[in-house]
Amino acid sequence: MKNTSLLLAVLGAALLAGCANPTRSRDLANAGVTAETLAQQVCSNCHGANGNSVSPNFPNLAGQTKPYLAAQLRGFKERTRRDPAAVAYMWGLARSLTDAQIESLAAYYAALPARVQPAAAAVASVDAGREIYAHGVSGSTAPACASCHGADGQGTEAAPRIAGQHATYVARQLVIYRDTDERPDGAPMKAACGALGAQDIRDVAAFVQSRGDL
Amino acid sequence: MRHARSALRHCLFAGLTAKSSPVDAGRRQARTQRRMPQRQALIAKVLGLVAAIGMTALSLVPGSASALPLFARQTGQNCVACHAGGQFPELTPYGRMFKLTGYTIGERTAIPLAAMAVITNSRVADTSKSDDAGADFQKNGKTVLATASVFLGGKITDNLGAFAQITHDPYAVQNADGSFGAHSGADNIELRYADRFVGPQRDLIFGLSLNNNPSMSDPWNTAPAWMQYVPVPSPTSSRFIDGAAPYPGYAAGGNLAGITAYAFWNRTIYAELGAYGTSRGALRFMSAGIPNEEVTKLRGLNPYWRLAWTREWGAHNLMIGTSGMTARIYDDPADTSDTATLHRTRDLTFDAQYQYLLDPHTVTVQFVHQRSRHRFPASLANQPVAFVDGAGNPLPETSEADSARVTRAKFTYVYSARYGGSLGLFDLTGSTNTANQSSGFSPDSLTVTSDPLAAAPSTRVAGNFSGSPATRGLTLEAFWIPVQYVRVGAQYTAYSRFNGASQNYDGFGRNARDNNSLFLYLWAAY
Repeated sequence: MKNTSLLLAVLGAALLAGCANPTRSRDLANAGVTAETLAQQVCSNCHGANGNSVSPNFPNLAGQTKPYLAAQLRGFKERTRRDPAAVAYMWGLARSLTDAQIESLAAYYAALPARVQPAAAAVASVDAGREIYAHGVSGSTAPACASCHGADGQGTEAAPRIAGQHATYVARQLVIYRDTDERPDGAPMKAACGALGAQDIRDVAAFVQSRGDL
Repeated sequence: MRHARSALRHCLFAGLTAKSSPVDAGRRQARTQRRMPQRQALIAKVLGLVAAIGMTALSLVPGSASALPLFARQTGQNCVACHAGGQFPELTPYGRMFKLTGYTIGERTAIPLAAMAVITNSRVADTSKSDDAGADFQKNGKTVLATASVFLGGKITDNLGAFAQITHDPYAVQNADGSFGAHSGADNIELRYADRFVGPQRDLIFGLSLNNNPSMSDPWNTAPAWMQYVPVPSPTSSRFIDGAAPYPGYAAGGNLAGITAYAFWNRTIYAELGAYGTSRGALRFMSAGIPNEEVTKLRGLNPYWRLAWTREWGAHNLMIGTSGMTARIYDDPADTSDTATLHRTRDLTFDAQYQYLLDPHTVTVQFVHQRSRHRFPASLANQPVAFVDGAGNPLPETSEADSARVTRAKFTYVYSARYGGSLGLFDLTGSTNTANQSSGFSPDSLTVTSDPLAAAPSTRVAGNFSGSPATRGLTLEAFWIPVQYVRVGAQYTAYSRFNGASQNYDGFGRNARDNNSLFLYLWAAY
């Protein structure tokens, strides 16, 4: 047993000494790991190796605006964004990111080409969504989506890109904005989508996803 | 020798069927009574080693400990990130990546420990068809602390991670006065090295797993080591629940020592190849808690393989795969001097898993079919048996080889990682072998007995009158997860066939449906 313990200790020490690997690290508490490495080794598991996620549970990040991405990562780290998915998936992963890593991650994803995504809803729904997107909900004074997110959802300095985003994800966020205060960074959205009904949300989300070729 | 033979037969049979059983409990009981001082010394050494590893990991990087289990503390994420609908141990696509990259995502934790405990109450349909209900259904209808585990592991370096489970069984030993003694020992143990070469156009994970249980390294929940209704309590306390019903498994069992190499290419093709041998020397810790003369002894290296194709689309993912193992197992773990005493086994598994994961819905469909062949050593094959048929004629001699097929299917739905339900089906068929008979006609009296040579107590409840292992049934479960570290559930397991028959399977009038069991549990982890 004594020899066994000794052998294990030596083996363990050798492995520990030889395994520092910052270029392919998944260590979220190491400020020395680059944003590109973190994006590929960790973020890609849900958001895709090219920033486009397979599952609509997780948003596409490729081509997203840098200010929005950085603000979300800060929101996760500081726990100000507190919708259920943010708490379950992102709070922990972002808890030790440095400001430099956050800025670099935002820049990394902003520079990736956005995916072309086909519409996944009926034409009538997409058309209804286009109308809401461009002109707002009839009878409401809330601004139209296009006024902040751009004519085709490409995003601006003030508002994120939503073109080509998964409809399921967009719809979920609209409900969170409309019904809760879990995303305080999106205060303007609370007023903007207050008049949206369930079908309106489905329609506008379907239209937004169909704008993937921009 | 008789004891060793029956123990091995049980071990092999357990590989084909349940992960543990009442027979296993009896076996543990006997050996534990004999080996308690040695075991305590061994456990002390193991715990010392575990503590040493823990302290090493602890000293490397300071971190913050929070009230969450091990891996959740490391990533800071909720259970649902890695476990589908929050139901342990089934993994999500992300959970599979976490495992295949060596448990290295996240931050090294200050205290790499977690604990789990299960409180259960089970009740079997009929306790009257037994000669000694107190012994056959020892904890029937009683609320007990059924099992508890300590987990150690997580991220060690950028490429190295570990998962080690030490399990405590409060009902491992029954003393002469009827009271029970506890036993703790190695459960699943794995040390994993992984590297990942990933970019926008390619993704290759390569790794090595040093582990003690074939298929423990597998990331899908249909692998024999992982396909189970959790929790699985001590069999002494819950004899016929789903956890004791047929499951696919590798004949060599656990507490081995093996190393496998694996690759996962573009999140599409998974291939793994490895070999298992006896847990000894520097790898003896992988069977900690079991006396050396009872640790499964394999001859040489025994191959294990796994190949799977998987695809993710939208909220869906599908896996279709195959795996297998061949093994040479010494009949008597205390005597490895003669290769003529080797059992030779071959298990071939086909499995598939579908998941639909879109908050708040989790849908899982699992399917496994395993074909197993077990060739006995010459000393056990072609042997006359002491039982006779009803007319007093000799029964066929014992077989040279047995074959068995286990099929399992399970459908699960979980809403909002909070409310869930499932339906599981199981079916074991196998060749009839008079060696499997544990009850039959006595040559002297032509009456049914469980021991034709001596006046031993009846084994009617576990008895097998047909020589066939065929067992079939279903399990329904409903559970509630009020908070992510607590699960409350109810399972009902119903048998249409048990030990080869639906009626009178033990020769003493017990029917398969008499074993139907209701199982209530409270599972908690910290």
